[in-house]
Amino acid sequence: MTATSLVRLIAFLLLAAFITMPQGFAFLFEPLIAPGAPAIYNQGSLLVLTLQHLRTVCLATIASTVLAVALGIFVTRPSGAEFLPLSRSLVNIGQTFPPIAVLAIAVPLVGFGEKPTFIALFLYGLLPIFENTLTGLTQVSPLALEAARGMGMNARQRLVQVELPLALPVILAGIRLSVIISLGTATIGSTVAAKGLGEVIIAGLQSNNIAFVLQGGLVVALLAVLIHDGLGLVERVAARKLGRFLNEVP
Amino acid sequence: MVPPRPALSFDHLGFVIAVLIGIALFAAPFATYRATRIASGEARLVIEALPFSMAAALALVALGVALGAVLARDPLGRLGSAVIGLAVLLPSLGLSAGYLTPADNNFARVSPSLGFWLLSLSFSLLAVDALARMRLGPFGRLAALAVGASALALLLLSGIWDDLSILKEYDTRADSFWREARQHLLLAFGSLAAACLFGIPLGVASHRLRTLRTAVMQSLSIVQTVPSIALFGLLMAPLGAVAASVPLAAALGIRGIGAAPAFFALFLYALLPIVANTVAGLNQVPAAVVDAARGMGMSARQRLLGVEMPLALPVILAGIRIVLVQNLGLATVAALIGGGGFGAFVFQGIGQTAIDLVLLGALPTVALSFGASVVLDALVDLSKGTTPA
Amino acid sequence: MIEIDRLTKRYGATLVVEDVSFNVEEGTLTVVVGTSGAGKSTLLRMINRLVEPSAGRVLIDGEDTRTIPEDELRHRIGYVIQGYGLFPHRNVADNIATVPRLLRWDRKRIAQRVEELLDLFQLDPAEFAHKFPHELSGGQQQRVGVARALAARPALLLMDEPFGALDAVIRSKAQDDLIAIQRRLGATIVLVTHDMNEAFHLGDRIAVMDQARLLQYATPAELLMRPADDFVERLVGTVERPFRLLSLTPVREALEAGHAEGEPIAASESLHDALSRLLWTGRKALPVADSSGAIIGRVSVDKILQHGRPLP
Repeated sequence: MTATSLVRLIAFLLLAAFITMPQGFAFLFEPLIAPGAPAIYNQGSLLVLTLQHLRTVCLATIASTVLAVALGIFVTRPSGAEFLPLSRSLVNIGQTFPPIAVLAIAVPLVGFGEKPTFIALFLYGLLPIFENTLTGLTQVSPLALEAARGMGMNARQRLVQVELPLALPVILAGIRLSVIISLGTATIGSTVAAKGLGEVIIAGLQSNNIAFVLQGGLVVALLAVLIHDGLGLVERVAARKLGRFLNEVP
Repeated sequence: MVPPRPALSFDHLGFVIAVLIGIALFAAPFATYRATRIASGEARLVIEALPFSMAAALALVALGVALGAVLARDPLGRLGSAVIGLAVLLPSLGLSAGYLTPADNNFARVSPSLGFWLLSLSFSLLAVDALARMRLGPFGRLAALAVGASALALLLLSGIWDDLSILKEYDTRADSFWREARQHLLLAFGSLAAACLFGIPLGVASHRLRTLRTAVMQSLSIVQTVPSIALFGLLMAPLGAVAASVPLAAALGIRGIGAAPAFFALFLYALLPIVANTVAGLNQVPAAVVDAARGMGMSARQRLLGVEMPLALPVILAGIRIVLVQNLGLATVAALIGGGGFGAFVFQGIGQTAIDLVLLGALPTVALSFGASVVLDALVDLSKGTTPA
Repeated sequence: MIEIDRLTKRYGATLVVEDVSFNVEEGTLTVVVGTSGAGKSTLLRMINRLVEPSAGRVLIDGEDTRTIPEDELRHRIGYVIQGYGLFPHRNVADNIATVPRLLRWDRKRIAQRVEELLDLFQLDPAEFAHKFPHELSGGQQQRVGVARALAARPALLLMDEPFGALDAVIRSKAQDDLIAIQRRLGATIVLVTHDMNEAFHLGDRIAVMDQARLLQYATPAELLMRPADDFVERLVGTVERPFRLLSLTPVREALEAGHAEGEPIAASESLHDALSRLLWTGRKALPVADSSGAIIGRVSVDKILQHGRPLP
């Protein structure tokens, strides 16, 4: 446990150091580049790009969480039950859409820049959260629900006090999956001129500079691993309260 | 216990679908006309996009479907009306393209617009909902897929859609389309095969050795969190180095840029679901069954091949399904590092703001993933059927 | 008093509960017993309107339950189910506090009530208040389930197979605890079970149901002596009948003057227990003591046997 927290801490410090003062790491990348080419990305601040990247992902995830959880609640209520079989099949079909396709189709509709990326992240992020909200809400123990009804909780009290808290770990797992997918998809967003870390990679690919590709890739990968890890921690705390233990393997 | 519903009554989902159909027919453009490939589009309503008799027929059929969606509860009836709707809608799109394109004009482009997309969305929603309620068995779903695929093939081969812009795009790059298609399938299926060859034995070993399992799972799940474009990029460096220092590798086509890093990245992504599902599949084999097999004197190898693997098969197949769908999607990113595949059209299309080109890459990808997931879901169900749970 | 008046539940053409009427006196424990599918649970769930009756009504102290909003009604009726349905995300204290919180009791009053109930159910508040349901044994979960149902001092407690998930040893202890608590609180309880022994052990009155209908509603002794029909007679069990009768009769009833050797037996114990002691020790009679321990007479085998058959 302590060993993994140490690894986490080191990874975080390395990442923070690299995005704030990348020049300090130039010596590591010099062997990879052609003579005369810049070793460190020089067309913008890594820190700013990282923050922009995170902002897009964060906003999109919040938007998809709100809509997906609301939809998940709706189709599990008696009034929305007619939409349940359809919504399940739509989730299955939706997952066969590659995120890049969603991104690509959004561009002609809303133009270049942040907007198509946001739309793609938002739409694609809906699926895992919606699916997990459904799973979480439908696997709430029928006994607990019966007891709640028997004690005179109304539908809203049952939802807020029993169903949502019990479904929380599963919903959180969906949000985590959604964030990780979005981090990657946002990178591809740079092909449609969205601000973010993808810029670094694309610049590297265009100028044939492996060092740039490596820098962009490393920062995104470290971000993803750290966020994945951190959200997993939150989930375990939520699940432990319920006496359920997530698999030891993350 | 619940009293049966009457066959005819108000349906909420049907109501939503009917509203969508209404908007599509009267308030949204059916097709977009552009004088040249990159000119800005002009919207055409149903009534403008088709000869009057055709437009009226389409509207009548669509309204009929809307009525059916609201009133018919029987899934078979709903499916039937959705199929009739699609059977009229899809060819009429091709007719509209022919009708809107001036004679002997090769530059004008006609593409489907919001109204068409909404209509096909409504009809498909109705069909999907009906199919979901019918709870078809694996063979039923395969048959439905086969019917859908043949209908699509018929539409494409009949030439009725030939005036549509996306097929004009296809026409000008038919050769490269099939080359990229081959490349896409090679990347997706090739890396899947490699991952199975390597991952299933690794899964069996991890099932036996606890320490190996923890190490393998942890490192593979870290790989899984690395975004695809980053992993492609990260693999370019070592593979480039290999190519530079090992001439044989370079001769085999291993290069920093191109298909090799993409193939390798897809392979790495594919490992986790394969290994994890092999382990999970073997874990859920009842201990009593393995014990009985041992009691009957089966050797370790006989137990594995004759008892454990067949019982774990459905779970392993479920892993393969995840990987295949994931690979078919991720393979589009390969184009970014020169790996080819349908992504090539997508990224070219983004570069030229040519939506038809984007769709030329995206639609086959979606169709492939969808087909693959239906086929593998059916296989998973079938393998469950033959092995007693 | 709870009055159940011609209650009927119909699903389509199927009658699940047909025209059932009986009254439950305040402070008594009534057991509804029958084979599975007899309609017992549906009957119980119609009392707190988890199932809406197709016909008939339920009166609590003269008030028709249909005139009370559903949720408010359920706040006033405790409900315990098999498996308890404890909320896994709330600790013991929060589980017990569920209904008081719904009723917006103030915090101090809730804390006081929770502590009181934990004491009543022999769960040390310091140890158990902050435990989560998954950290409790089956018997402890059951006690928390009952405590939670009693938290807001309900006028009536409904229990649906409350001991069904317990093993035999813990079950009989839990049944004794329930009787003690019921006596102490003077609670009115309607309990559903399929277990005849449990019915005889717990019930002040027993309602026997079969195929949606109420066959007989009577005290345990009446059920033994004058079963309404063959089905009740078979259900009561012809072989165990005399022993059940003896279990229901206190030693006091068979008291006679005179002296006997041996360990005295309390006048409040059952003749079944007295006979068991006599058989095991091989004696003909036992001394009988009152609650203060003074010997007040004796009880003999002959006299006990007279009580094991219906009166002429």
